[in-house]
Formats: sequence, C-alpha cells, structure tokens
Amino acid sequence: MNLKGLTVLICDDSILFRKQMKDFFTANNCTSIIEVTDGQEAIDAYKENKPDIVFLDIIMPNKTGIEAIKEIISYDSNAYIVMFSSAGTHQYLKDAILAGAHDFLQKPFDPYLVETIIEKYFLSQGGN
Amino acid sequence: MYTQFFGNFLLNKHLITPTQLMDAIQNKKNIHLKLGVLAIHNGYMTAEEVEQVHFKQTQIDKRFGEIAIEEGFLNKQQVEELLHTQTPDYLLLSQILVDNGYLSMEQFQNAMLEYQSLYELTELDFSHEQSNKVNALIREFYEFDELNDENLREMLYCYITLLFNTIIRFVGDDFTPYPIIKIGAYPINWCVSQKIAGDFSLHTALDMDESTLISFASRYVGENYTSNNEYVRSSMEDFINLNNGLFAVNISNDYSKSLILQPPLTENDVLFVPKAPLYYIPIQFTFGTVNVMFVI
Repeated sequence: MNLKGLTVLICDDSILFRKQMKDFFTANNCTSIIEVTDGQEAIDAYKENKPDIVFLDIIMPNKTGIEAIKEIISYDSNAYIVMFSSAGTHQYLKDAILAGAHDFLQKPFDPYLVETIIEKYFLSQGGN
Repeated sequence: MYTQFFGNFLLNKHLITPTQLMDAIQNKKNIHLKLGVLAIHNGYMTAEEVEQVHFKQTQIDKRFGEIAIEEGFLNKQQVEELLHTQTPDYLLLSQILVDNGYLSMEQFQNAMLEYQSLYELTELDFSHEQSNKVNALIREFYEFDELNDENLREMLYCYITLLFNTIIRFVGDDFTPYPIIKIGAYPINWCVSQKIAGDFSLHTALDMDESTLISFASRYVGENYTSNNEYVRSSMEDFINLNNGLFAVNISNDYSKSLILQPPLTENDVLFVPKAPLYYIPIQFTFGTVNVMFVI
C-alpha cells in the first residue's frame, strides 16, 4: 500500500507500539509521521499538524485518549480518529465511538488490521 | 475465553457500522435471547434452518422450539438445554444486531464461527501435563482463607488460566510453575505492574531479574534485545497490558462486568509493601524465573 502524502499522528505512551506503527507506515512509503506520548500532546500536535488520520491509545497517563478525542473533535469535527487499546471491552468501545472515533483497534499490533483500517479511511474519503 | 470483543470484531470486518454497534450496545439490557440465535451458537441448527422455522412461525401460531422439534431440527432435550444454559454476553449483542436487521442470520452464523475459531482460547491450549500443573496450583491458591468468596475465586481462576495461556501463546511453553507463596512485603528486582479496577479489583505484577527481563521481552516481541533499554521495559508493560486487556474482554463477555485498566508501571529495586497480602507464583523458564504477583 502506498501511503505517500498521508500525514499520520500516533499517540501512545508505549514506545514499543509507536515503533511498530512507525515501522509499518515507513515500510508503506509514508514520510509524515508524528509521534506523541500522551493525550495533551496529541491535542497540541493535531492543531499544529492537521494530520489525515490519528491513532490514539485509550489508556494513557496525564490525559486519557477519551479526553483527548473529545477535545480534538470539538476543535475539528471532521478529524479521522482511530482509537486503540488492549482492552476491547464494550465499555471502551462505547466510550470511543460515542466520543466520535471512526474505528477501534485492539492491541497487540497487527499489520493486517492496520491495513484494513487505512483502506476504510480511503473509502470514507471517496477512493484513494 | 475470548481475545477480542465480538462487537469490535464485527466492526473491523466491516459487517456493521459504528452507529449500529453503538445502538446495539446501548440497548443490550432490554433484550432477551431467542432460541434461534442460541441454537446456532450451540451448533444445533444452521442459519437456514432457523430462517425456515421463522417462516413457519408466520403461518402457524407456535413457539420456535415446538416448530424446531416438529421439523426435526432440535429434540426436546436440546430445547431444554438451550433454555437453561448460561451464554456469553456477546450473543445478546448479536441478537439485537439481528433483530434490527443489521446482520442476517447467515452473517451472524458465519461471523460467530470465524470469531470463535480465531479468538476463542480454550484450555486445550495447554498440554495435558501443563494443564494439570496449573489446575493444581489454582486449587492450592483456593486454600488461603481470604479466598472464600465464590466470585473472587472464579475471577482468579479466569485470570490465572488466561495468564498461562498468554504466556504460552506469546512467550513459550518451556516453563514450570511452582507453588504459590503468600508474603507481606516483596523486594522488587525488575517489576512491571498494573492495577485493574472497576467491578472487580486486582493489582497484578511480574517481577524478575534483569537478564530474565531482557530474554522475556525479546521472546514476546520477536526481537533480539541485548541490553535493558526503553524498548525492553515497554515490551514488558505491553505484555501485562495485553494480558489484562484480554482479561477485561473475557470478564465483559462472560460476566457483563466492566473493568478499568490503569497504565502499567515499571519499577526497579524497591520494597513493595501492599496493604493486603501479596501472593506470587514463581514460574521457572529455561532463561530465568518470573514471579507472577497478585494483591487482591
């Protein structure tokens, strides 16, 4: 998949998950990858960079992913946000979708699932 | 036990939209499971047979079970069994999705079979010998006086079984668990911990020496770490977060209880003195010993 031209924001306090995501996007020719480690940084980075797609962890110190998504959506209601967590329970899923998430990803990192999510993003934008 | 919430699975498969899922989750309390969905879940009927019975129901005023018996799809014993078995929470979700026309019976059947084959972990994941050891360990655990609460025991049983499954799946099965030890304070070496709160609370942790930490993390991530760096520690946090996340999914599926996970924490060289007694299970791997700890 060719992701050249796509700007991605990855927000997770886990350096491991950030690296796995970054490796995935780099391998798919994406050159604009922004990494942050907590909810507040995600909000700031969103406003500064206006990424096409945001990957946001739910469980994080300082500001959680749910708090961050609410702020980002209130700033830009068209933000395309995918939330992820190791706990894909209906409560988390409900919170994420209610807050305006387009998709939900369950850890551990799975390149096929990330690919599916990107395809869905392109579909929502009316093709590649 | 399941490793992913069914709703999430359907969403990722593009079978339903986030709005439909939301609608179903919110209405889950008001729904009753019907025999058709249960019969498919138990493998007694196919989606096509259920549809046939539904069609008949539009012609004659009879219950689903009665028609299914007349048609030879079910016998009386099976109907009784279906009416009295405890079923996973995700079936309720499926029932609403079917009732609302978001999923057809056939889509439900196919999705459920795929979900089960992909994500259901059973105790078959253990070899017979490992399984016996783990069960003996859990029985021993139950002999502690504090653990006389039936619910607590059941949760702990789920937790410990899942943890061994996660270790086997992601790290390896070359280990031997040793008997449980109960102590008041524990000198931490390299410890990754996570608190689980909500309808049930548990403080969980893994402690080990540095070289075991590096080997454990290397195996888990499939990298060859040579020193104790940020990635090693992050891998360990990822491991405990993954296991506890799966635990939350199972508890959500099987008991409709909601759990909240706090961010995992790594600590080194401190004395851990919890308010309640601490239990730990030493697990000896070929590369070192990992102590799995719980504070209830």
